[in-house]
Amino acid sequence: MLDQMTLNDTVLDAAREVFETMIYMDVETNNEASPVIEGQSLLGSITFKGCLEGCLAVCVSQSCAERIAKNMLGMEPEESLAIDETCDAVGEVANMVMGSIKTRLQGTYPTIEVSIPSVITGRELRNTLGDKAVKAVVSAWLDEQEAVEFSFLYREAKH
Amino acid sequence: MAKSLMIVDDSATMRKIIIRTVRMSGLEFDRTEEAGNGKEALEKLQESPVDIVLCDINMPEMSGTEMVKEARKLDCCKETKIIMVSTESAEELISGVMADGANGYITKPFTPEKFQEKLTPFMN
Repeated sequence: MLDQMTLNDTVLDAAREVFETMIYMDVETNNEASPVIEGQSLLGSITFKGCLEGCLAVCVSQSCAERIAKNMLGMEPEESLAIDETCDAVGEVANMVMGSIKTRLQGTYPTIEVSIPSVITGRELRNTLGDKAVKAVVSAWLDEQEAVEFSFLYREAKH
Repeated sequence: MAKSLMIVDDSATMRKIIIRTVRMSGLEFDRTEEAGNGKEALEKLQESPVDIVLCDINMPEMSGTEMVKEARKLDCCKETKIIMVSTESAEELISGVMADGANGYITKPFTPEKFQEKLTPFMN
């Protein structure tokens, strides 16, 4: 089993790789001011099975999701965006962060099979996997402005 | 000579992102087609073949790995260059799909430079 610090760093490093390469946003944690996602939000999630089974989720506010989608698509801030495009972008972020985590864990857990991402909208959204799951929940700031939460929950598969 | 391109991905947003990234790489195509899964891609390729296909792996209906195998059975796709674009990075999977007939592999997240590096050899 991975220790908590390694797991948190793995999730954060994977998120940074995706956000800095394709979304052009910095991901920073700040212990003094914990980011809080308020109001309508989107949760993109992707499940996985194999050596590990669980779920990776990315949660952001509606406005942050739109900013992510516009950055990914190269759109200007004033341009309008379809809701499908926003949801699709958040799902792709979850997909790419999970892919990066999978690559980083490959030495320890060589077989992890991922699903197709899904996205839900609502308020106070949470990613859960029961009491026995190992959890890495990383709250961070995007460009020091927008709150984002990455939650990686898993159980080691029984052999 | 101008080349034609097909983007195969179940996410319409990701297809747009790939088109944008290819443009940013400086590579130019005279025609760009899109398909939402491997099955749709094969149907479109039989109607109108392209020079280069950029193909995701995890898709509903027909995955990218299955699409490569099926495409290599078709006369219209014998010369088509197929580059996989995926979050999957397991060496076993990559070597498997290359053995099945893919011509290259790009992992997500990607940059315009990565597209330029992987596609330029097939542009002449």
